[in-house]
Amino acid sequence: MQPYLISLLIFIPLLAAFLGLFLPATSTTSFRTLALTANVLQVIVLVVMLSHFHPGGLQLVELKPWITLNMGSWGVLKASYFVGVDGLSLPLVALAVFVLLVATVSSWKITENVKGYFILLLILNGAIIGSFTALDFLLFYLFFEFMLLPMFFLIAIWGGPRREYASIKFFLYTLLGSVLILIVLIALYVSVQEPSGSAPLVHSFNLLHMADASNFIPHALLDPHHISKLGPLSFRAWAFLLLVIGFGIKLPMVPLHTWLPDAHVEAPTPISVILAALLLKIGGYGLARIAFPIFPEAAIDLGWFVGLLGVISIIYGGLNAMASKDLKRLIAYSSVSHMGFVLLGLSSLTAEGTAGAVYQMFSHGLISAMLFLLAGVLSDRTANRTIAHYSGLATKMPTYTAFVLIAFFASLGLPGFSGFIAEVMIFLGAFKSSSVGGPLHESLAIIATSGLVIGAAYYLWTMQRMFFGVFNLKGQMSPEQLPDLNRREYIMLVPLAVAVLVFGIFPQPVLSIIDPYAQHFAEFVLRSGKSITP
Amino acid sequence: MTPLDTLQAHSSFFVICLGGALALPLLSFLLCFYVSEKYSWATSVLAPFLMMASTVCAAVVLYQAWNHPAFTWQRVWFSIADHTFTAGIHVNNASALMLFVVTGVSFLVHVYSIGYMAGDTALRRYFAMLGFFTFSMLGIVVSDNLLLIFVFWELVGFSSYMLIGHWNESPAAAEASKRAFIINRVGDAGFLIGLMLVWTHGHTFNIEALRALPLDPAWMTAASLCIFCGVVGKSAQFPLFTWLPDAMEGPTPVSALIHAATMVTAGVFLLGRAHFLFTPAALNVVAITGAITALLGAFAALSQHDIKKVLAYSTMSQLGLMVAAMGAGAPEAALLHLFTHAFFKACLFLSAGSIIHALHQAQHQSHVNFDVQDIRLLGGLRKKLPFTFIMFVVSGSALAGLPLFSGFLSKDAILAALVHWSNTGDAWHWVVLLVVALVSFVTVLYTFRLVWTIFNGEEKSTASLVVSEPPVVMRAPMAVLALASVWIWFSWNPFSFSGWIYNHIGAAKDFHGGFVSMASAAWVLLALAVAYASRGRKLDSRLLAQGFYVDLFSRKAIEQPTLQLADLTHRADKKWIDGFLHATAYAQVIVANLTGWFDRAIVDGFVDGAAGLAKSIGSFTRSFQGGKIQLYIFWAAFAIIIFIIWTLL
Repeated sequence: MQPYLISLLIFIPLLAAFLGLFLPATSTTSFRTLALTANVLQVIVLVVMLSHFHPGGLQLVELKPWITLNMGSWGVLKASYFVGVDGLSLPLVALAVFVLLVATVSSWKITENVKGYFILLLILNGAIIGSFTALDFLLFYLFFEFMLLPMFFLIAIWGGPRREYASIKFFLYTLLGSVLILIVLIALYVSVQEPSGSAPLVHSFNLLHMADASNFIPHALLDPHHISKLGPLSFRAWAFLLLVIGFGIKLPMVPLHTWLPDAHVEAPTPISVILAALLLKIGGYGLARIAFPIFPEAAIDLGWFVGLLGVISIIYGGLNAMASKDLKRLIAYSSVSHMGFVLLGLSSLTAEGTAGAVYQMFSHGLISAMLFLLAGVLSDRTANRTIAHYSGLATKMPTYTAFVLIAFFASLGLPGFSGFIAEVMIFLGAFKSSSVGGPLHESLAIIATSGLVIGAAYYLWTMQRMFFGVFNLKGQMSPEQLPDLNRREYIMLVPLAVAVLVFGIFPQPVLSIIDPYAQHFAEFVLRSGKSITP
Repeated sequence: MTPLDTLQAHSSFFVICLGGALALPLLSFLLCFYVSEKYSWATSVLAPFLMMASTVCAAVVLYQAWNHPAFTWQRVWFSIADHTFTAGIHVNNASALMLFVVTGVSFLVHVYSIGYMAGDTALRRYFAMLGFFTFSMLGIVVSDNLLLIFVFWELVGFSSYMLIGHWNESPAAAEASKRAFIINRVGDAGFLIGLMLVWTHGHTFNIEALRALPLDPAWMTAASLCIFCGVVGKSAQFPLFTWLPDAMEGPTPVSALIHAATMVTAGVFLLGRAHFLFTPAALNVVAITGAITALLGAFAALSQHDIKKVLAYSTMSQLGLMVAAMGAGAPEAALLHLFTHAFFKACLFLSAGSIIHALHQAQHQSHVNFDVQDIRLLGGLRKKLPFTFIMFVVSGSALAGLPLFSGFLSKDAILAALVHWSNTGDAWHWVVLLVVALVSFVTVLYTFRLVWTIFNGEEKSTASLVVSEPPVVMRAPMAVLALASVWIWFSWNPFSFSGWIYNHIGAAKDFHGGFVSMASAAWVLLALAVAYASRGRKLDSRLLAQGFYVDLFSRKAIEQPTLQLADLTHRADKKWIDGFLHATAYAQVIVANLTGWFDRAIVDGFVDGAAGLAKSIGSFTRSFQGGKIQLYIFWAAFAIIIFIIWTLL
């Protein structure tokens, strides 16, 4: 059983999606049951996985031959079905399973074309888990692309008024990112061989092999021992930058972020939740798994640039959130701001910063899920999320207000919530970076602290405008449209709130999973990066 | 000291009491939310009871910890690589005393709130947040490391936000709570930078471990000044003080507890805890900031009309004195003033609350409406509120620093320390001393003015009202606090500050304060005479009333530009980034149209042209095959002729 756990996690939803094809389109309940069953089974598998996992390196690995093509003098193309989890992926897999369960419950509100919706949701589910666990670049790329299509249709069909614009924008942006990643994928494929080294030459997509400088074919395009230059930078640095842009689009990183607010504003609530809580994380995950370890010397040389982009994202996203007039758009921009911390933490190349970045992804997954569910509560009731149209909601919807208060304060990094732990560690790591040979200057961390003030400003201002003051509605809404939270919403929000609080007060269980990875990451990138630099 | 020694030095009873003192307020927070809405009145019994138990525990802790080796307890909170972040408790004399003062004042304020907040619709939230505040404040007091202090530091900011905005239906309260949190966040961002510096250079957050490090001005000056930023925010120092007067929108008991006795003094307390980090250069900045704050606060208090705002500016000014004393290297003087101030200022606020409460009740009965906090409308209340009058006079005397009251002792300690500091240091130190002396003079003026306007002379707007003293649950806490404002609790000798507290809350230096205390007594009495002589005068200054326009400045110079910048980024997103994308998309559509046209007109045209050509040639040649015999003969003849001509030529 144990060796197949990850495969189970990936293929349960895909199998369920396949089964769904044979169910009658009219039966709404059967699809809900199907999706929920798949999610619950995943939770069970996850629990078994967690019980088998011991903090340390890669575990629960499955390595099966997948594609082996003998191309004569071109060598052998070899891609494998290679999956496994470590301190980076396990928290994200756990997050994904949890958030997807919540998203399924939140999908109860979907009433049109339920069959298509749930089948797409299940495909998306499998693709997300696959992306987080794949250790073969081609396999990763496959899952990565596989997420795109369901997401496109989920926004384009079940979205809001401007869904066509938003979905096309999302699709094109992400496709551009994918193409850039594909270029690097091909370049790496050409440059890397299996460690055996004997003839025939075996070209591998194994990410672990790619991260080892000795596996590069001498004089190949990306060979770290014979660095060839293109303009001011080496080919390897260009490849690193392409990956940063490719994954940066997903993250999203300013100035490649403008698909996000539109996609969020138009997407239905559950899709927003998945988008913010999981899809963005694949950007950060890709940087940590692929870009940094494979091009460590570029990570050291250009780390300051990544960190700078992170700081710009933090501040620029925050300022944009402040100017947003739509609640969902505000939350979307706050995501941009918070994902900037991930960039800052990773590029610090310290154990603290890396652990903080992974923790931030985990924590932001929970918090943003909560925030988008809360925005969905208003959308469901009035289809109006304009901040200026509400005031004094605290008197009308006290429980809702309490949850919003928790989510806002969690998101602005109040101690006691998980975001604080993550951000503190990122700050400590980013500031310390230069003193341990990392690429970041102290000033970046100092400038980034202004993000804390901006975060407090836009959240509390929103609190003041929408929830405090005398109860009043504008824009053709009536008070009867606004009952307080119902049982289903409660069931979704309470576990998230509890999780955010528990992981804020007791971070050690998650951190002890992340810790070996974070140490290894920082140490490995610095060491192998320094050894490559001529 | 090893953990074993700690265990031997402190009984398990002590540990239970310490745990109780810390946990009971948190329990109160949780239980208050658990109580159902129908029985929300129960919270006003439950919360004060739990707080009383906490106070008793704190008293035991104080008794057992006093002049004993510090109690320490540590657990790993979380760890990354080989760095461990611990959570720990450190109880020494100063923190034990602070523990008792915080729980004690909190308990009294809880009791007072039973009367003051009776009938409030959100009673559960009120008592819950009071409990949470007390817990977070105690967290700051007993934490043994800077990160944990920062955690609770932010949490008191959060509870302050919730309590200032308790009446959140009022736009002013909502605005004030938001501003308080954000301004505190500005300071906290500085604090965080300080933490980063400490972490990078000191590799630990543990205060005792940091204390053991050699003094290294290279980073300690910067680190301590950054930490001081947090203090400036939380303790309402210049220039981040504007939130404190605004915070008076909260319920008055909250003002007494949070914005006078405890939370705002957290900064001063932290300065005491982390005093070893401050290099002489950093201390100079601290002293100057404190002196400026004290001066601004005292003068601003002179021309306020709102009774609570007078007290708020006065608090700010007193905090400035404490910070200045810290800067002058006299933590024990600052802490002594912190403790005396906690009691008399809380008493002043509760007395002000008593006036507000009594007048509100009276207004309700007679349906008159005026701003009961505006002292220009008050007067002659001595007869209608005799008890409150006595309380106000006692605690006001302590604030003014009259002999025989606690304020005299602690202000003396500060003055003595400053005199010593001025004698030993640079010449400009005298300026700070003079400023502090001036502040203590002005303090007498505004305190006297406040008491005189409210209680003496003719009744104004209140003349027709039937005013009665507040209930005993409100009077008793005031009486206790007033009692705590006399000298006897702090030192046997009313003219010598070096009593049991002063000598044991730090490395107390004896400054031979005899001369200073005589001089300061004379100085205060002179001030009293001046105050009496000028009792009718009014100081109407917009500059002072507006708090030196710092608030206006921050709105115009910081807030508005930030909002404009936010709008700019929004437009940048829409116009530039999306504009660029749309332009690319349009360009692509245009190119697509062009290629489409090229396909249709040129490529297809060529193909069609070729086809047409073939067709027309075909139809031309077809025209030869007319099917008529005459035509064939004609063409044959024509061809032969052509052939003949061609061969002949």
